[in-house]
Amino acid sequence: MNLGEMFVSGLSAVWGGGTMFLMVVVAIVLGTIFGALPGVSATMAVALGLTFTYTMGPVPAIVFLTAIYCSSITGGSITAILFKIPGVPSSAPTTFDGYPMAQRGEAGKALGVALLASAVGGLFSALVMFLLATPLSKAALAFGNGDMFAITFLGLSILIVLDTEHILTTIISGLLGLLLACIGQDPMAGVARLTFGQTSLLSGMEMIPVLIGLFAVTEVLKQTNTKKRLSAEDGVGNKGKVNTKMPTMKELWSIKFTLLRCSIVGTVVGILPGAGATIASFMCYTMENKLSKYPEKFGTGIIDGIAASEASNNAATGGAMVPLLCLGIPGGNAAAVMASALALKGVQMGPRLLNVQPEFLSATFITMIVTNILMVIVAIGIAKVFAQILAVPYYYLGPIILLLATIGSFSEGNIVGVSVMVIAGIVGIIVKYMHLNSAAIVLGLVLGGMCEKYFSQAFQKAHIVTAQMGFGDYAAKVFESLFGSPISAIVMTACILLLLSPIYMPFVKKITGKNKPAA
Amino acid sequence: MFELICNVFLFVFLGYTYFTHVLEAKVPKSYLKNPNVLHPSVWPKAIIILLLICIAINIVKIIKKNKGNPDFTFKAFGKNSLEFLKSRMFIGMVVLVVASFILEPLGFVVTAALLMFAYGMLLGEKKWWRLAIVACVLAVLLHIAFSGLLGVSLPRGTVPFLRSFSLFLENLF
Repeated sequence: MNLGEMFVSGLSAVWGGGTMFLMVVVAIVLGTIFGALPGVSATMAVALGLTFTYTMGPVPAIVFLTAIYCSSITGGSITAILFKIPGVPSSAPTTFDGYPMAQRGEAGKALGVALLASAVGGLFSALVMFLLATPLSKAALAFGNGDMFAITFLGLSILIVLDTEHILTTIISGLLGLLLACIGQDPMAGVARLTFGQTSLLSGMEMIPVLIGLFAVTEVLKQTNTKKRLSAEDGVGNKGKVNTKMPTMKELWSIKFTLLRCSIVGTVVGILPGAGATIASFMCYTMENKLSKYPEKFGTGIIDGIAASEASNNAATGGAMVPLLCLGIPGGNAAAVMASALALKGVQMGPRLLNVQPEFLSATFITMIVTNILMVIVAIGIAKVFAQILAVPYYYLGPIILLLATIGSFSEGNIVGVSVMVIAGIVGIIVKYMHLNSAAIVLGLVLGGMCEKYFSQAFQKAHIVTAQMGFGDYAAKVFESLFGSPISAIVMTACILLLLSPIYMPFVKKITGKNKPAA
Repeated sequence: MFELICNVFLFVFLGYTYFTHVLEAKVPKSYLKNPNVLHPSVWPKAIIILLLICIAINIVKIIKKNKGNPDFTFKAFGKNSLEFLKSRMFIGMVVLVVASFILEPLGFVVTAALLMFAYGMLLGEKKWWRLAIVACVLAVLLHIAFSGLLGVSLPRGTVPFLRSFSLFLENLF
């Protein structure tokens, strides 16, 4: 399928006689509301969105979830600007300039910039996904099992390095995720492992209830100890009334390079397995601050800061879809939830997707474009009424989240799913107290099965064969499995360098610090 | 102290798992005859070994970090545990566990209404009658929306009249 055919196929999938288009609009409304609600992250929005897709076919499900995913990131900016509470973590930098603008009575302009920047970032990344998907999928078809293992492992390695302050606990979290993925039957011999005699665990951990528990239930439990009511800030005393006046063309023209730079960086960060929208938005905000002619104004309420944060976090959503669909490797938590949902629908994510199920790829691409355009209109409408919506106190919102989480966990028709969700929610709290990283656990859980499968297959295909293998032969075979091809050798070396960076980086910093001339 | 206890528990549990539950059935002999295949226990055992090493380092780190900390004692831990057991978060956990147990016999509608009511009260709603009305209406609406309109199967309960009520709601549309 060439690019033109993909475009047409995606358009027909998303239009679908108008019904599907209407569903996209519903998904955008839901996604924007979910994203705007404090305490509901993009991951939780996708997890809650899953509840609605159980009876859908694969294409409608992918369209629905993609629309929720993209719009939830944008929705996060609404509360960030109006209430100084980021609806999603990736909107945190939006509060730095968005809220001061709202306090000055420029809430409308701030929202307008946020929505337009989100649309630009999202459209840019969708385009990149469209252009990259085919060549990357074709290239990935030539990848061997060792190469795929190395790329999958890179996702975990990057995640570990990103949280430099808690390296050890992040490693433990990632390993715990990998171990959880081992529960059930071994992929090669079909032998039961780590089930503790529970037959319900033979088919492995139920991914969706675990994800819903870790993200939605844990968050509600955390919020249980806090009581707060929110009120929107418009700076001129009209509490609850928000004007969404768009920025002028002149103002938009002044941030054109910010939008371009942050869209590029956001997309690249999104493509990296393990990194995500939150890292992209913080990175771009800092970058724009450093590149700006007036860095002192950042944080006082300027549109550049909002544009940097919002263009990059939305661009990262599109970026994260590239490794998910082309390599089968989720780029972040929300993508990991999407991966589990799509796997349920029979979507074969990975390099073969383009040949076997190209309609999924094209549907995702067109959905992202349609969502990013429609989102501006929908989000403006939502922003206008959101001041009233957010007057809904958490003692209603929290239980509603729990009810949706229960439905989502039971939707596979198994009551055990609800118990798993509750246990995962409680474990999420323990994980927090142990200073472990739940994102690393989830990525380990999602990538674990793939990691083992690719490694086992690479090991099987390694050339060293001896009837009675000693430790040396075994080690040589493992080495060949990991470093047998140029791609796997390069990627594995990068992984090792990344994993060892906490050990050697202090020395490197010390040496480079000493070499610097005294100021 | 809680962090340390959790880490020690995890260490002991993983050690026990390593020796007893990595493989729970015999590997077929035909599979083992092939010298090229990876033994099913290698991958989980490798992960457990790495975990044991990392957790051991973490335990040492936690002890070193908290040396001299007056709160890092079993007495303080006991006091904090009692406080936690009285906290709303713990009650929330209990509410969730109870809800997961009553879901099968009572069905979604009743469980959802009770869960919403109990959690709403826990989160600070003082007007219980308003919360009760909202909880009942919302539980019914969600059941109709998901089970009746979207075709998502939800537990109907095993108590006869509750089951009949769920079926009635599902067949409304």
